[in-house]
Amino acid sequence: MNFVGLAAALATFFGVWLGHVSVRKIERDTIRLWIPTTIFILLGLACLAASLWTSSLPLSTASGILAVTLFWDAFEIAVRQPKRIQHGHAPANPNNPRHAKILAEYPEATTLDLLDRDPIGRAYTAEELTTMKERAQ
Amino acid sequence: MNSFGIWMGIAALFIIGLGFVWVIRGERYFGYLWWPYVLCVGVVCVIGALFISNDWVSGLLGAAGASLIWGGTELKEQAVRGELGWFPYNGKKIQPPFVDVIKKWKAPSL
Repeated sequence: MNFVGLAAALATFFGVWLGHVSVRKIERDTIRLWIPTTIFILLGLACLAASLWTSSLPLSTASGILAVTLFWDAFEIAVRQPKRIQHGHAPANPNNPRHAKILAEYPEATTLDLLDRDPIGRAYTAEELTTMKERAQ
Repeated sequence: MNSFGIWMGIAALFIIGLGFVWVIRGERYFGYLWWPYVLCVGVVCVIGALFISNDWVSGLLGAAGASLIWGGTELKEQAVRGELGWFPYNGKKIQPPFVDVIKKWKAPSL
């Protein structure tokens, strides 16, 4: 039995899952994004150091993968998630002053979580999309 | 100093990046209802990785399997993104075997 692959699988799956959930939550609630961004970079560096230090291949693999996903999460928090808010691809939080500013400046931004629905098996019409957004206001 | 994990991390980044591509393309042409098959292939990859003695191959297969499992849970959301017009929409999707049974199951979304 070789546990390198299992370690890689667990780190990849939970790294992506935790990143997916935490980036959304943290970006939504934070006013100054540089704080969580810095924390994620530091956590990534800690994982990087652990990966280099340990002589166990499964541990080195898991921490190496977690390091990279944490760096990616930092980039998501600082750059990519705010862009999703601007485009209305993720719901803005009106109680967060930073998001309130985005809502005022970007017409596409919305408080509606447009992804929180089941597929309907066809593309939405322009009218349906307009009605959807109006309901959020 | 053990650089194995860092190389695995860099490889995982590319494997996850590839996930963005196949989830988008796969959903466009095949639809999200393939999700049980994708999950199964992912699980088989992870289990298979346990029995591969070469550390590099085992690690890459494990990461690829996990990325398939994650991607399988992303397909439903990607289908909605396509329907909302965030991605080009293709109405003629190639349906999976046993599609009527799969439709009765709740598609995972994490």
